[in-house]
Amino acid sequence: MVDLKILIGGPQGGGIESAGQIALKAFVLKGYHVLGSREYQSNIMGAHSYYLVRVMRRRPRALTLPVDVLVALDAESVLTHFEEVRPGGFIVYDSGTANVKASTIAPMAKPLKERLSEFFGRRGSEPTVSEALKVAEERGVTPIGLPMKQLLRRVAEATERPLASISRTVNIMGLAAGLYLAGVELEYVKDAIVAQFSAKPKIIKPNVVAASMAVEHVSELHEGLPRLEDGPLKGKQLMVATGNELVAMAKLVGGLSVQTYYPITPSSDEALYLEEHRYFELNDVAKERLGLEKMGIVVLQTEDELSAINMAIGAALAGARAATSTSGPGFSLMNEAISYAVTVEAPILITLWMRAGPSTGIPTREGQQDLLHALFSGHGDTPKIVVASGDHLEAYWDTIKALEWAERFQTPVIHLVDKYLASSMISIEKREIEPRGYPIMRALKTDGDLRYKVTEDGISPWVPLGSSTMVITGLEHTEDGFATEDPVARDAMMEKRRRKMETIKREIPEEERVRVYGARDADVVLVSWGSTKNPILSAMEALEGEGVGTRFVQIRTFFPFPEDTVSRELSEAKTVIGVEQNLLGQAAFLVRAFTGYRVRHMILKLNGRPIFDDEIVYGVKRILETGEETVVVRGGS
Amino acid sequence: MARSFLEYKTDAWVQWCPGCGDFGILNAIHRALAELDIDPRNLVVVGGIGCSGRTTFYVKGSNLHALHGRAIPLATGVKLANPRLKVVIAGGDGDLLGIGAGHFVAVGRRNVDITVIVFDNAVYGLTKGQAAPTLPSGVKTKALPGPNIQDAVNPLLLALASGYTFIARGYAYHTAQLKEMIKAAISHRGTALVDVLQPCPTYNNVMTNQWYEERVYYLEEEEWDPVVKTPEEYRRKVPLIAAKMLEWGDRIPLGVFLKDETKEPFEERLERQMPGYMDNPPSSRPISVDGYPLADPWKVFEEKVVKKVEASY
Repeated sequence: MVDLKILIGGPQGGGIESAGQIALKAFVLKGYHVLGSREYQSNIMGAHSYYLVRVMRRRPRALTLPVDVLVALDAESVLTHFEEVRPGGFIVYDSGTANVKASTIAPMAKPLKERLSEFFGRRGSEPTVSEALKVAEERGVTPIGLPMKQLLRRVAEATERPLASISRTVNIMGLAAGLYLAGVELEYVKDAIVAQFSAKPKIIKPNVVAASMAVEHVSELHEGLPRLEDGPLKGKQLMVATGNELVAMAKLVGGLSVQTYYPITPSSDEALYLEEHRYFELNDVAKERLGLEKMGIVVLQTEDELSAINMAIGAALAGARAATSTSGPGFSLMNEAISYAVTVEAPILITLWMRAGPSTGIPTREGQQDLLHALFSGHGDTPKIVVASGDHLEAYWDTIKALEWAERFQTPVIHLVDKYLASSMISIEKREIEPRGYPIMRALKTDGDLRYKVTEDGISPWVPLGSSTMVITGLEHTEDGFATEDPVARDAMMEKRRRKMETIKREIPEEERVRVYGARDADVVLVSWGSTKNPILSAMEALEGEGVGTRFVQIRTFFPFPEDTVSRELSEAKTVIGVEQNLLGQAAFLVRAFTGYRVRHMILKLNGRPIFDDEIVYGVKRILETGEETVVVRGGS
Repeated sequence: MARSFLEYKTDAWVQWCPGCGDFGILNAIHRALAELDIDPRNLVVVGGIGCSGRTTFYVKGSNLHALHGRAIPLATGVKLANPRLKVVIAGGDGDLLGIGAGHFVAVGRRNVDITVIVFDNAVYGLTKGQAAPTLPSGVKTKALPGPNIQDAVNPLLLALASGYTFIARGYAYHTAQLKEMIKAAISHRGTALVDVLQPCPTYNNVMTNQWYEERVYYLEEEEWDPVVKTPEEYRRKVPLIAAKMLEWGDRIPLGVFLKDETKEPFEERLERQMPGYMDNPPSSRPISVDGYPLADPWKVFEEKVVKKVEASY
């Protein structure tokens, strides 16, 4: 079984993400499925960041530590991650940094410096790179020093370029050495470099030379390492994309014609990627049938999130398929307009990329703290659809579905995704994103012209602005849209809103709203939502191997809440454990609100790093052993 | 044959106080639309919150009543989706220059082809007379416990700084002149501001009809040519225009201050970016063919497909 884990650490702006992506591409070219995740700080340059890569024959479901190879491009990376390498693994580091002390690393967080001082103080030494490597060695890890300065000089000579212009290739040196130690031949690294930098051909050569020199250096020291066999997908083409990118792709595929946004981490990359492809080439069938070559999406950066959502609503009311995307703080600004969108029955999609709060919080880190915020957004009673995706591909398909639901039910749909999905990358096969069997159609009811007609199913005829004289207002209104405060007319509209929710509940099938995995007779039922899904599925396999049978209830829509399934599954279970990345156990809170069932145990992760599968294994076992109510897991640097 | 202004009236009861300046503005809008012969189905009046926002219900069109301060982005969304529509915003000075001031600036930067009519009475009427952003400091209207301690914003200068390509100021009771300004604003291709000074007989007991009548005069009475045809002409005229916009006190100028024909409206920028946008705008373009998407993701997003590429380096 191949299960390789590599961590590449270095300063922000030092090509860590490029190195991570090149690693993913090298493994894909070798025939493997990959998962890669970027951990970074709210900083442009200098702060520590790292890229975590996991490689398997099938798509990895979760990240985990320890890794097989740590590529530490600077002293801070060694001192941050030296305990995260498994016995038998390698640490590639810059031998020029051996004597660097933690206390002299300016960007390093103070609490980490203190922890390191305490740790090394207990050993009677000081936190330096060489001391950290000693600790790793004692645990069976092999440090591999790369003389980066000398290697850089040789790259400069070989490419006949000034040293300053090629100094950025240190990331590739470290990576190539690390991949060599993981059993990947240099040729795959070269191919991956070419693929990565195809738009910047000038920098290909120095990077390839740097990779070759680093590998040459390491191979002289370490001959005869086992080579990684070719993977099952060798020769097959795979896409490697982030959740941000997949959601953008789904919007284009799903027929979106207007997207607005205001820059905010971790959502802007989605809008920017869509903007990059806003004027796209039609497929042959569409070309022939429409007589057009290309089609456009208006993607607009607005002055703030108030504008972003109001503009999307205006566009939707005029007939466009419209969306906006944001994160928690931006969504706070959008609240008022959510309420408006419910009242005027605007079909819009709001993609909400959650990050760790409260307030500005740790803005580049993982969190699942906006569920209640999304559900209860908007003043007044504001029924809407809230859907949470469990993984990258769910995020892709849910985007397409959400665009349709928004139209069919003339309501805002809030799509919850999170930072982990936003910036982590997976390998994808072509069939997985081909819209076959899921029709993409306008879903607007067209059986009349009374815009707010009171109907049996709560859905009124769709009449876009510009097609007839009309009025649309956020004030309570009569069927023709004109403002009213009449009590009977008011009740009629409120009842219509209730019936619309019932229709939504009836028409979106229960299996779309909740998914259940695992053995029916399992003693333990895990209940969760969002991007913890795959780590949970991975943990379930491990627990199974240890004789603990588990079942997993993944809640996907919170409005409408899948009461029947959740209630049935939980009431029959012996032990129910919630898994969430927020303080309150927000989904567990909603389970109780909607079903009356109290989830007694929680595994929580709050430190802003994505949850690992082995943390869930640990949490489940601990709860079974001790009966503790809450286990907080704390993995990741 | 132009339509009658009566065709633009609705049967909703007009709920403004007797003597309100809003009546004059509404009348001017009705008449301007009739003379421009705009099909009410192609007209979108976007109203803000406040007395003036009720205009949404009093002009026949395909209309939208926005949240407080959000008329401009809402209207911009409509226009981006369907650039063939005529979009006119009717909002108060509190709505457009207070809570919505960020949008007031941003729309000018885009030069979206919409008309912004500010019902400028210097008070928040519907909430009973608080000071609005255009109320000069030191003025004590009857609802205020003391003189206003915040300074007034100058809507015309703000519009100039933001890039509006048509800037005019009218007076609510001069319906004939105001009608002409609104006509010119709607006909102008780009973002147009008509700042309409108006008494609020209920709450602004300082800036009354008499107060205004003693001060206002029209730019046409002097030699004034607001048209700008080249960037060079813009640079030359802007200091004069700005100076004129600053004039406030014993004499208050009315009329068209600027008509800048040098800047491309936003819709044209989009058309240039994505040829075909105007013919197949977002509001009506196809999204699929027989339920299948218009594009193949593997092809459109090909750069994400990991491939061995032959390259010489």
